[in-house]
Amino acid sequence: MKKIYAFESKCLGCGLCEVYCKTAHSKSKDIIKAHKQENITSAIVIEEILQPKAVSYFALQCRHCSSPKCVKACISGAMYKDEKGIVRNDKEKCVSCLSCVLVCPFGAIKKSINGKTVSKCDLCIDYGKSLCIEYCPNEAIKLLNENEAEALK
Amino acid sequence: MKYLIIGNSAAGINAANIIRANDKKSSITIISNEEFNAYGRPLISYYLSGKVKPENMNYRSVDFYKSRNIEVLLNTEAEKIDIKNKEISISGDVKLSYDKLLIATGSSPFIPQIKNLDMDKQKNVFTFLTYKDSIKLKTKVTKKSKVVIAGAGLIGLKAAEGLFGQVASITVVDLADRVMTSILDKPVADDIQSHIEQNDIDFKLQTNICEVDGEQNISRIILSNGEILNCDILIVAVGVRPNINLAYSAGIKTAKGIIVNKYMQTSEKDIYAAGDCVESLDLLSNKSKILALWPNASNQGETAGFNMAGTKKKAPAAFAMNAISFFGLQLISAGIISGLNLNNGITYSTKNNLRRLNILNDNLIGFILINDNQRAGIYTALINDRTKLSTLEYDITLKDISLSVYPKEERTKKIWDYKGCSL
Repeated sequence: MKKIYAFESKCLGCGLCEVYCKTAHSKSKDIIKAHKQENITSAIVIEEILQPKAVSYFALQCRHCSSPKCVKACISGAMYKDEKGIVRNDKEKCVSCLSCVLVCPFGAIKKSINGKTVSKCDLCIDYGKSLCIEYCPNEAIKLLNENEAEALK
Repeated sequence: MKYLIIGNSAAGINAANIIRANDKKSSITIISNEEFNAYGRPLISYYLSGKVKPENMNYRSVDFYKSRNIEVLLNTEAEKIDIKNKEISISGDVKLSYDKLLIATGSSPFIPQIKNLDMDKQKNVFTFLTYKDSIKLKTKVTKKSKVVIAGAGLIGLKAAEGLFGQVASITVVDLADRVMTSILDKPVADDIQSHIEQNDIDFKLQTNICEVDGEQNISRIILSNGEILNCDILIVAVGVRPNINLAYSAGIKTAKGIIVNKYMQTSEKDIYAAGDCVESLDLLSNKSKILALWPNASNQGETAGFNMAGTKKKAPAAFAMNAISFFGLQLISAGIISGLNLNNGITYSTKNNLRRLNILNDNLIGFILINDNQRAGIYTALINDRTKLSTLEYDITLKDISLSVYPKEERTKKIWDYKGCSL
């Protein structure tokens, strides 16, 4: 299975990945409507690293762990690992208790803006392709399998 | 090989799931003394409030058992374990044999000694630990009910929240000087209490119920401070006790809970135990204690499952942690909260927003976050990994937490590990 990897040296911190994450997870799939009408929380966490004379960034997403702490902490069974290995959250079942946020060591799960659920990367499985990667202007996030990631480490 | 699991909640289900993933052929049987397929036990207060509908109570998809070829026997009480013959007795003469047994019997409500209280006879007294408890309670309450809850812990307060708006009054009684004694210190508990009080829930603290009035139904409650409360519904939620009798009477080593090693194995080679019925080694105090927490039960169930199916794995570190909300106030706490002479680093605190970190000897040992949950799991990881705070990139009491707190090499290692978290 492929996962999204962040390349620290290439990230500009522009936030386009978040824009497209929201679009891919919107009902309308329209960039303007997604932002202006639909209250969507991006599943990407842009990390800022302050250095002595500069700031660098990376765009962190769910690691789809082999034994996900979030799935084991989830009290409702909303968080699950699907047959492909993607860790997903069933918004119908989620009660937003934030047990997943409490245990994710990556900080990759966010409470959604509407307060009713949580937001995390699902690799845009329902949309069909990971839009964040497609629109990243600097190839700072890539979808890689284990061997590809090893080679680029 | 025959796997038998007593208990059908977080520990039992996670064990069964891992056993099946590692052993496609053997038979797996789960027995449960409840009448439902596994449900999210902490959801019972959400069911009570109406926020979660019955169809969303299921902990796993409807085909969980069938698709994994797991047999589940509901309404079935395990009565006795016969270690010598490797079998258990259910409902009288029926026996089930096993090669590997998991005891995941959970806990039961503790019923304190109260004069005239008779749980079997009085029809308006409830406990609040099972889906059935919640269904019974929901059927009984009316807009006119005056509800008294004994216990201001997580269970009592969630019951109060679940009933909010459906009854005439709710009064919570607790002997302690604060709410949620086990997970909060006094100042934070006081803030949370006043937030809950704004929703018309009354508290009677530092007193307890010493007597109840009424034969078939309790009508009045007498407190040790002399106060008398009218009562239509009494909920007893003063705590839980691990269900160890089955293990104890079979000769398995127990103390407060069932004693297990780091592989979740009991004093009997082929018998494992997991969840609220066992004692866990608390990472922070290094003492064996009951840590009745959903994530801990899942972890232990998974660990037991691996070991029962022949893959040796140690249980992950355990320590107290809770994420819970009350009337829109979101509370996250972990580790040691009070009772130590701490060099407390309160990063910031406003009326409805608090981030408090407890630091001892260069280690984060506990935290409380209210309405401020971003990346809380990184704090949990710092406790879990016993990370020396002086090795980090910045002072965690001065800046919001993020992965950039880790030095570059470590950060890269973490996010480039394909497996992420593994057991």
